[in-house]
Amino acid sequence: MSNAYQKIYPNRFSTHTLRKVNKQVSFFGERLLEKKVRGTAKKNNHEIRDPMYAFVHMDSNEREVLNSAPVQRLRHIHQLALTHLVYPGATHRRFEHSLGVMELATRIYDIVIENRYTDALGIDGDYEKEYYRRVLRMAALVHDIGHAPFSHASEDLFPPGWDHEAMTLRLIESEEMGRIWKRLKIQTDDIAKLAVGPKHYKKEILSNTEAILSEIITGDTFGADRMDYLLRDSHHSGVAYGRFDHYRLIETLRVLPKTYEDGSMEPALGVESGGLQSAEALLLARYFMFSQLYFHPVRRIYDIHLKEFLQAWLEGGHFPTDVDGHLTLTDNEVMSAIWKASRDPELPGHDAAERIVKRNHYRALYTRNPNDVLKNREAGLAIYTAACERFGEENVHHDRPRKSAGRVMFPVLEQDERIVSSLSKSDNLQHIPEVAADTVYINPELLDAGREWLKENRESVIESAVELEDER
Amino acid sequence: MKQIQRDGLLFELVDELAEHGSWCGETHIQKAAYFLEEMMEVPLNFPYVLYKHGPFSFDLSDELASMRADALLEWEIKPEPYGNTLRTTEESKRLREKIPRTMERYRPAISFVAQKFGQRGVKDLEKISTALYVTKEMPGGERDVRARRITKLKPHIPYDEAEEAVRFVDEMIAEAVPLKGSSELRSRT
Repeated sequence: MSNAYQKIYPNRFSTHTLRKVNKQVSFFGERLLEKKVRGTAKKNNHEIRDPMYAFVHMDSNEREVLNSAPVQRLRHIHQLALTHLVYPGATHRRFEHSLGVMELATRIYDIVIENRYTDALGIDGDYEKEYYRRVLRMAALVHDIGHAPFSHASEDLFPPGWDHEAMTLRLIESEEMGRIWKRLKIQTDDIAKLAVGPKHYKKEILSNTEAILSEIITGDTFGADRMDYLLRDSHHSGVAYGRFDHYRLIETLRVLPKTYEDGSMEPALGVESGGLQSAEALLLARYFMFSQLYFHPVRRIYDIHLKEFLQAWLEGGHFPTDVDGHLTLTDNEVMSAIWKASRDPELPGHDAAERIVKRNHYRALYTRNPNDVLKNREAGLAIYTAACERFGEENVHHDRPRKSAGRVMFPVLEQDERIVSSLSKSDNLQHIPEVAADTVYINPELLDAGREWLKENRESVIESAVELEDER
Repeated sequence: MKQIQRDGLLFELVDELAEHGSWCGETHIQKAAYFLEEMMEVPLNFPYVLYKHGPFSFDLSDELASMRADALLEWEIKPEPYGNTLRTTEESKRLREKIPRTMERYRPAISFVAQKFGQRGVKDLEKISTALYVTKEMPGGERDVRARRITKLKPHIPYDEAEEAVRFVDEMIAEAVPLKGSSELRSRT
């Protein structure tokens, strides 16, 4: 069995995964045979084909969550907004990403449960193991259901005090989902905590167990969400930088004690020393993907034009936050409105819609330069402010996204059982740059004039804007 | 407060903490910045949530990462098995020179917090910062009520240690009054 699989999917299955597949096939086969004998054969376990992991498995109860309206809506939310206008292959949706996160989170969970270094995880006995496994899987499946159309691109258009995580919480606690959690015999709050993590779950502090499980899904270093989006976005966009050996990495993940200078400890997700290179590869992949794909200046300007359109098109300029309103709004409705508005100057958002449809986006006038940063950390803002005065606010945009390269410090388990910091083991991790962008865009009709103006004024604008203290 | 001012104050905080013997890992900077904002009224404007080691700002965490991207902060690798520390770079000193009035205004508040926190480890900082969090949550609350609230939020902290943390915070609040970040400004206007 394993040889056949390896022939068909070389490099796809680790030994562990193969063992699990064999075990499951055997288990499911026996159950099927048993039911057939009884004459009541009903398929309880389902496989979904996936370009990244070959198959994603789920049982009939879990499929109820998959079939719920909030999860099915994700079939119509692009993972990377309008990125396909730059990378034509990047048309994948949040739906398959959510399945992928569930699959990877499960693999990580199984590994850290099987290879316990400490009992800090606080999960004991078969019942707890199975309960938390299911909670983790379902939380991973629903972690993105609160996304507005076009995902992160339009995040700012939630009303003040709202974001996609708050919307995810509202949906998890909705009547429809509440009924499903009850049938699955899992607590709504447990799903909520793991799905949005400690940053967004404000009802109470997560326990160590919950914090680690949530880290398995949303963690900044080894979270399944990060792993899946890097691999999947890389696959679909054709940008190879996002690939890394996630099989090896997952096999070596462990829950380890992280030690502080006063001797206090807490459990954290770390790796065995043999997995350090794959952890480095993951963090480098993240750096490259942000600098090459996510922060690509043309990709980013489409986000800005999309936001301009939505601001004009949405009632009150904001997304609805009621459950029905959220569930009925997808990329399809927005895209249809963009097509319509692009052809009719009288419709709200016409200018932005036309720029998107005709690919007549604003052009990059200024991009981040490390030497400028040393003179003025807000060099882009200085250029933007001066350009607005010269060319008019409506003709200029400024974009300064920030993203940490991820937590590069995590515990590493040495072969002699010592636990050390990743930074002391890896020069590479010490030097992975943080990702930064700072771009000023200009109306394409003014691009030549803008370039001429910038050539003459760049230094003086950046230097002269180094002001500046408020009274507060 | 402008970005450059906020940056300068954070660099000063990192240097002062180090000068007072702090390990100066991210957790130490987080807690000191929380006190600077919530007790000393220095308007850094970072939102905090109660997290593993007490109040924590994800925005501040991103900001520290961004400062590393701009070569204003750097890692210093420390001996095993502990975590590493953050240090300011020469560039950050140049930046501070551009905002002398801001530095003058808030330096006393920064020194005060750094002096109080310099010798404390993360375990201590967790208790103290949670005590301030609870004190802000229930202004005028009796000491024992706040101590009980801490033990409810953080069951691993024993009652007597929680009460001691609340006492420490109360004393610190009293000492802080003349040094509060905005006091000099108030006296000028």
